[in-house]
Amino acid sequence: MNRRKYQQFRIIVMFFIFIIVILSITLNSYLLAITGVSTGLIFITLVRSKAKIKIDEREITVREKAAQMTYTIFTPTIGIGAFLILLFASGKLPTAKNEFHYLESLGVIFAYLTLFLIVLYAISYYFLSRKYGGGSDEQ
Amino acid sequence: MNNKLKVYRAMHNLTQEQLAEKIEVTRQTVIAIESDKYLPSLGLAFKIAEFFKVKIEDIFSHKENLNEN
Repeated sequence: MNRRKYQQFRIIVMFFIFIIVILSITLNSYLLAITGVSTGLIFITLVRSKAKIKIDEREITVREKAAQMTYTIFTPTIGIGAFLILLFASGKLPTAKNEFHYLESLGVIFAYLTLFLIVLYAISYYFLSRKYGGGSDEQ
Repeated sequence: MNNKLKVYRAMHNLTQEQLAEKIEVTRQTVIAIESDKYLPSLGLAFKIAEFFKVKIEDIFSHKENLNEN
C-alpha cells in the first residue's frame, strides 16, 4: 500500500468514525462511540504499521510547528477564558450570577487545564533539552 | 539558500517519486526542497549529495543577501 492509498483509506475510516459518533449521539450511547472510535483508531494503526508509511523530516518539522502553534494559541486562550469565567462567576461583573451555577467549576477546570499544559510543556522542555545536549557544563 | 536538486535529478533522469524513494523521503519533500520552500537537514543534504556522488556544496549553496537585515 502506498501513501496515497493509505490516505484514501484513512479518510474512509475517519468518515466511518464520524458516522458512528453521530449515531451514538443520536442514540445516546457512549459505548457505541467508544467502540467505534477505538476500532477505527486500532484499524488505522494496524494498516499504518503494515503499509510501513514513512514519516520524513519535513513532516516532523510540520508537526513540530503545528504543535508549537497549537500550544501558543490554546494555552493563553483557555487561561484568559478561565480568568473571565471566574470573574463572571464571582459576581463582580453585572450579571445574573445565580443563572449559571456551573460557571465556577468550569472556570476552575480551565484554570487547572492551563496550569497542566504549562507544567507539561516545562517538563517536556527540560527532558528534551537534556536529550539534545542542553544543560551540560562539559567542555 | 538555493539548490540545484532539480538539475541533478534531470541529469540522472529521475522523477521526483523515484528520487524520493532513493533518499527515503516523501515526494512532497522533494518538491518542497526543489522549490526552496523547505531547507533539508544536514543529514538529508549529505544523503542527497552521496546519492548523486557529488559534494554537498555542488548541490546546495548559501547566498547571503548583504542588504537584507
